[in-house]
Amino acid sequence: MTFLPAAGLVMILVGVGSYYATRSLHGLSAFSSANVVLGVALVAIGAVAQARRFRGFSGAESRRVVLRWTALLLGALALVIGVDVWASTFTARLDLTIDRMYTLSEQSVALCRELEQKGGAPVELVFFEDALLAKDVRLLVAAYADSCRAVEVRDARRREPPEAARDIYKTTATTVIACRGDVCDPVGYPSERNITNALARLTRERAIRVYFTTGHGEIDLASESDTGYSGIAALLRDQGFEPQAFVGPAAAEVPADADVVVVAAPERDLMPEELAALDRYLARGGRMLVLADAGQHSNFYSEFLPRWGFTLDDAVVLDRASSPLLRDPKPVNLLVHLFAPYNPVTRNLSQRTMVLLPRARPVDLGRKPQPDDKLDRAAFASQRAWISRDVSQALAGAETSAPDGADSHEISIVATGRYPRGGDEDTSAHEARIVVVGNRDFASNRLLDALYNRDLLLNAVRWLGNDEQHIALSDKGWTPNQDPLTLQQTVAYFYFLAFALPESLLLLGIFAWWRLRA
Amino acid sequence: MSAKIEAQRVSKRFGSVVALDELSLEIAPGEVFGIIGPNGAGKTTFLRILTGYWLASDGDVFVDGISVTRERFRVQARLGYACEQPKLYADHRVDTFLGMMGELRGLSGQTLRDATAVAVERLGLEPVLKRRIGVLSKGFRQRVALAQALLHEPALLVVDEPTVGLDPAQQIELRRILAGFRGQHTVILCTHQLHEAEMLCDRVALLDRGRLAALATADEIRAGGSLEALFLAKVGSGPGVTP
Amino acid sequence: MTRRLWALARKEMRQLFASPIAYVVLTVYVALTGIYFFQHLVSYNQLLFVYQSEGMTGGGFDQGTVPSQINVLNEVFVPSAEDFGLFLLVVLPLVTMRVFSEERANGTDELLLTSGLRPYEVALAKHGVTYLFVTLLLAGSAIYPAVVVLRGGLGFEHLVALYSGQLFYGCAVASLGLACSAFTSSQIVAAVLGYAIPFVLLDFAWLSNTVSEHAAAILKEAALLSHYGSFARGVIELRNVVYFAGITGLGWLASVASLELSRAR
Repeated sequence: MTFLPAAGLVMILVGVGSYYATRSLHGLSAFSSANVVLGVALVAIGAVAQARRFRGFSGAESRRVVLRWTALLLGALALVIGVDVWASTFTARLDLTIDRMYTLSEQSVALCRELEQKGGAPVELVFFEDALLAKDVRLLVAAYADSCRAVEVRDARRREPPEAARDIYKTTATTVIACRGDVCDPVGYPSERNITNALARLTRERAIRVYFTTGHGEIDLASESDTGYSGIAALLRDQGFEPQAFVGPAAAEVPADADVVVVAAPERDLMPEELAALDRYLARGGRMLVLADAGQHSNFYSEFLPRWGFTLDDAVVLDRASSPLLRDPKPVNLLVHLFAPYNPVTRNLSQRTMVLLPRARPVDLGRKPQPDDKLDRAAFASQRAWISRDVSQALAGAETSAPDGADSHEISIVATGRYPRGGDEDTSAHEARIVVVGNRDFASNRLLDALYNRDLLLNAVRWLGNDEQHIALSDKGWTPNQDPLTLQQTVAYFYFLAFALPESLLLLGIFAWWRLRA
Repeated sequence: MSAKIEAQRVSKRFGSVVALDELSLEIAPGEVFGIIGPNGAGKTTFLRILTGYWLASDGDVFVDGISVTRERFRVQARLGYACEQPKLYADHRVDTFLGMMGELRGLSGQTLRDATAVAVERLGLEPVLKRRIGVLSKGFRQRVALAQALLHEPALLVVDEPTVGLDPAQQIELRRILAGFRGQHTVILCTHQLHEAEMLCDRVALLDRGRLAALATADEIRAGGSLEALFLAKVGSGPGVTP
Repeated sequence: MTRRLWALARKEMRQLFASPIAYVVLTVYVALTGIYFFQHLVSYNQLLFVYQSEGMTGGGFDQGTVPSQINVLNEVFVPSAEDFGLFLLVVLPLVTMRVFSEERANGTDELLLTSGLRPYEVALAKHGVTYLFVTLLLAGSAIYPAVVVLRGGLGFEHLVALYSGQLFYGCAVASLGLACSAFTSSQIVAAVLGYAIPFVLLDFAWLSNTVSEHAAAILKEAALLSHYGSFARGVIELRNVVYFAGITGLGWLASVASLELSRAR
């Protein structure tokens, strides 16, 4: 190759390099442009000179060889481009990330299937390539495009997005916006969880109303502290539910539009009228979620729940098999990994998807209110667990091992009840349901995102709200060990690996070179 | 084993420069054939076309009836080439280099070892077998080049300027080696040394400006006086010899 | 053919490692990648420390207070992969520049091409040994991240994806460099071309404002970086493997073409 094309390439290199070096200050500068243009010109001149040389190529055979190989190269280039284009239509990929973060979770896949079956207006994910997080999110958006036939991905640079999406983008500069027709949801931080929740919100026909009783020392949904429960409200809203507060003493009846009532760890007695209102609500096919911590006393546990077949001892479950999470290895922190595989609330939980229930209370089954009622235990402590009736001592950490002769029967922490009610129509819509979880802490702000706690809560609410088709494990986000090495370890490894290794290579090289020369 | 070579109107042009102009000649099997001529006469060009390194612009060369243009690999299997100013791998040891060239020629195992031993003995390379080619003298490098060309017992041996740059003793030794090839291979010897061509060759072709200026047997050369006289007659001024 | 190829490959390896450049490139690359990986790891540790401190959040990070986007993928692996890719672009032309051009300059190509060797065999051996060297480079640079990954229980598979990408990318860049080396007898010209062509192909963002959107999309698909990023994120996509294999194959074919075309001068 002659000097001209090489010089031309150098100029293109300088032009492109100077663009990248200064693009934060301004776009393509005159210097960069001039270099690129001149460089292209020199390359073109060199190519023309080469072509003219070809005309002077001596002999038919030489010309044949040149033409043959030129055609071969061009043909190979066309083939490579063609194969590349063809390959890009395939979505075959291997997701080797730790949490398979670019493979849709069960929940997302379940939602996709539901959307495909439902039909209706198509759902779009509008993807903004210019957004800051676009590079991080492209693969995730592609996963939706590949796995979800009901969801289309629209590249905002190639197809004009809906006006609502443009308005959202102007104010939030978000990477992904979910839209259905003219209605758009901003999604928020573009994680799989948020995208799927946005799709669920857009496509849900009716929000499930979840009423929380108040006035008896129940959990505080407004509190954002670690021990507060604002996370439940946010989680439910994210999922398309409507959490509402229901002031027990003030209301005579449970609101007629309540899909689910949550009685979350009352610490005081309920009034007889309130208990009667809850009875009537259940009798007409209502749904109830009960959270009950160890050490709490209320007539709700001693009078109301036994009427519906649940026995809550005033005791705490201890288990030495708990792992040292929260830096607190006390047996009171229960790691539950034994679940009833056929119970709808726990069927997708297993030994690998544990829940943390600190200060848990045993939930046992008593007499069924009616013969057709079904009561089931759903989650169990390990074989090494025991029950302590000295709750204050146990909670203080005084009891660290099972006393001699302790009963090692199966201890359940979560139980469910199904009660066909509503006269002759025995459909699931008139079936009362109750889920009792012998713990409230697992749903606190501090622990809701730990392990699979949120899944247990959502499964319960979904089953109670007739939203079972959405019972699926949500994505876990990024949960590797976020601290691979301490700073000291990092430095130690650095000296050993980043210095000693190259040094060894250099010494090896010198030795090998000397040997070859000898 | 030896080969017959036939060049038919071979031409080679580099743009407007004519390096070879319709060169035709025949070389009989077993013959030691010399090619002489001034610088730029086309000697090395012809050899590069013969060995398949370059394509002829027109015409063709046949080795045992096989066209170099169309079947150069078959031709290359039959020839060994020691090119001008030996092109060798300086970082290799002599034995490693010969082993590699033998393998590239398709030899292996005992066959390769035997062939290497024969070539080493023929070229007197025992003293330098374990030395790096880069530190060898010119004479030994030339011998190594010849040795690699002989490994596969080629029918045709092509040697380009083998004694250039050698001291007299090395030249004498190398000529003795080349003389030993007579009858075993067809040898094409390209040289500037006229007396060398006179000593070693059965016939000599004189190239000038890409053309065959003269073709003479050894007897004809002696009858005409000397090769030098022929050279001068055809290339420069002086008494000529009828080809 | 296999025996010939093997003999050629051994010759190439001998030549490669007879030159100090190979060792210098190995050392520099392993050192650079180690230093930059260390820097990213330290920055990540410091970022975690900030989130861990009481003043910032009021709680330890095991309570989920570190935002999910702050993770070892985004803060260490992806930036490291970008750096490593750039370093490959810098060091590989130093290795590829001599592979063909040195043969041509020394005249040893005449020895090879008159010995009955097919040009594609010569090119295959040279390309193969160069890819082997790329693998060696990457293996050396992988030791530090591998130790971190194994020690931290982060998942070896992700590292496999990351280094697969670097291998494909490195072989493609090397192949382009070898093709440049094949067309010249000057190592300097080969080096310049070996830098210029991959660099221009790296990313066409500089053209995106001057061409139509459609053309910009096509150029983006042709750019090296567009196909490299997903490996760093732990995903091996078929289309990216096909892309790099195509470039590698084209580079090899161009090398063969140069050997064939050199006869037709």
